[in-house]
Amino acid sequence: MVLELHVWGPGFSLPSIDPQCLATIAYFSLLVPRDSWTLVASSDPTISPTQELPALKNGSTWVSRFRNIVDYLRQYSNGAWDLDRDLSALEKADNVAFSSFVEARAQALIDLSLYVTSQNYYSATSPAYGAILQWPNQWILPTQLHSAAKSRTESLGLSSLDLEAVREQQKRDHSADVAAGRIPQNFIRRPRETVSSLLGKTSQQHQFRLEALAGELFEPLEDLLGDKTHMLSAKAPSSLDCLAIGYLSLALVPELPHTWLRDLMLRKAPRLSQYIERMRRELYGIVNVSDAFTNDGQSSLPWQAPERARLATIGSTLLNTLADSTPILKDIRVNNRLRETAESADSGLSETEGQALSAYTKLQGKDTLISIATVVGGFAALVGYMVHIGVFSAPEAEAEEEENEFAIPESVDAGDFLGSLRAQG
Amino acid sequence: MTDDNHGRNIPDQLPDRGREPHRIRDFFSVPAPVKRVFDRFPLVTYPSNELPHCAWPKRHGNRLFVFTDAEGARRGRPSFNPQCLKWQAYLRFVGIDFELVPSNNHASPSGVLPFLLPALPVGTSAPIPSGKLQKWAIEEVHCEEEQQLNLRFEVYSSLLDNRIRNAWLYHLYLNRENFEAVARRLYVDPSTADPIVRTVLASQLQQAARDELLKSSPYIDASALEAEAAEAFEALSTLLGENIHFFNRPNPGLFDASVFAFTHLILDSKMGWKYNRLEQLLSQHGNLVQHRDRLLKFF
Repeated sequence: MVLELHVWGPGFSLPSIDPQCLATIAYFSLLVPRDSWTLVASSDPTISPTQELPALKNGSTWVSRFRNIVDYLRQYSNGAWDLDRDLSALEKADNVAFSSFVEARAQALIDLSLYVTSQNYYSATSPAYGAILQWPNQWILPTQLHSAAKSRTESLGLSSLDLEAVREQQKRDHSADVAAGRIPQNFIRRPRETVSSLLGKTSQQHQFRLEALAGELFEPLEDLLGDKTHMLSAKAPSSLDCLAIGYLSLALVPELPHTWLRDLMLRKAPRLSQYIERMRRELYGIVNVSDAFTNDGQSSLPWQAPERARLATIGSTLLNTLADSTPILKDIRVNNRLRETAESADSGLSETEGQALSAYTKLQGKDTLISIATVVGGFAALVGYMVHIGVFSAPEAEAEEEENEFAIPESVDAGDFLGSLRAQG
Repeated sequence: MTDDNHGRNIPDQLPDRGREPHRIRDFFSVPAPVKRVFDRFPLVTYPSNELPHCAWPKRHGNRLFVFTDAEGARRGRPSFNPQCLKWQAYLRFVGIDFELVPSNNHASPSGVLPFLLPALPVGTSAPIPSGKLQKWAIEEVHCEEEQQLNLRFEVYSSLLDNRIRNAWLYHLYLNRENFEAVARRLYVDPSTADPIVRTVLASQLQQAARDELLKSSPYIDASALEAEAAEAFEALSTLLGENIHFFNRPNPGLFDASVFAFTHLILDSKMGWKYNRLEQLLSQHGNLVQHRDRLLKFF
């Protein structure tokens, strides 16, 4: 049985645009013989029952996420395919701790560099997604990923990288100033900010903050690597090496308009940068987007062209997107999707996983019902109150009311004025 | 007389100006039904509330505001919130005296507990948020900044801040039995007696936990969270080894406090857990359990 690894497609001359996928590809190419697996740039998370990539398909079994795939490979091969087999206890502990560290810290920096930094997103990341996605996903998925990255990095308080947010803030400030009469309308200037001018002048403290964030990530890794040939042991790479290569090559390799992350990495961790560069050339080669969609077997990775989307798939994607952007419908849909995953027997989840998942979806189902009930109840209360107070009166009273309205001037200020008119008329 | 009559009659007798307010009135007047609703609204200005009666007489000490109950505050018992307990334990370990004040997120200037009102300089009212507590403590008692001493400090902290915290969030807020038995009792019920507000607060808490977990993955996989927590406990146990404190320091410090904050609450029988998979995972590592028992003597 050939294992199928489904990933986000290639970008920035790397075999995938997503760090977890890159790490998984690195793990496979270090460990699994080339004829035992194929790489499919499907770029569509809905193909996996858990809605995420990377996903490994073996017959009818699906496994997703780097960590789960690593575990699955070990079980599948009876312990033969396991990069972490020979680690000592202390190295194992380091492996777990540094992996969690890289996943958390590097993800934040990649989010900032590729998604939140507006210039990079619009001139590099978004076109890269455009090249690998099929219609209509190319209009839907990048926006979703963009906003997810923004919400993940919100707490870091580095919104100055995000020109949209900056511009909105400026607009708000301006309109507040105009409203307060401080700036005459004509004098409002619309400065065109760029990230460099923002970083250069107005937010030096943000630059310090970026430097500190990058330092916190790169310095421990540089120390750990030391003069060794690999991160943990000198003999062989471990799963930590794969994660580091996956995440850090996205920091190092992409050609972006604004290369602050690469500059910081080269400056703070020169040895680490060399190591990542060497390993990614060895494992990935230089990947063109077209490699992923042809089956000629020329490239260094076992690419297999993904199936073209059928009309039915496209239709359902469009419908789903529409439904997902409708408030209450969205909640119901998310739940249903999860419940399906949990209850279908061949979803690749173990029994306990399935139980936990269905418990969770039922919990969410209750919440959705509560929110529907709240809306309905609130509306009913409003209508009830309006009836009670006599806003809606019986039809015969209505004619009278209309007359009233024309005769108006009961207490409105302008009514006094009208009254004076009438006196004159 | 109708409006149209007005329109026809007026121009002869009034200058053009006269029409404009009329039109404006039409645009800006409140529609009659809405106006009637508002006419019935009582417009009463109540006198402002009195300041809450201060049950903790002003003594001249540092006051740390944490999630706890009145009884726990008086005796200086550990807080039931890991973030609060971490700083409570740290200040205790480095030997700073403080009193506990029961509080909640709404009372905090930054929206997050804990925060500290320092005793000195006298008359200051600037609270210290949790992010600056360590710096303040270093200035007060000249303890070490432990992050500088070992590069693994930050790395292993990420286990606590991500893996164990995520498992904790699931465990406390999204596991229904635990939420009803523990979170509702500790966080929701003390806030108010109103059942409607309680329901809303409870669902807000759960939603917040869910949003936090969904930030890092498209769906919440309980068994993956538990497996990651198990790996994290194992790594921490290996890091501690046979030492008394983490990084083989003579006195407990910030890292010990961070670990203790979770291990104590997971192992504490007073929390009343209904489903405690984390305890089963943690109990496999005897040295972590002993570490918690040793540190509990500070309280």
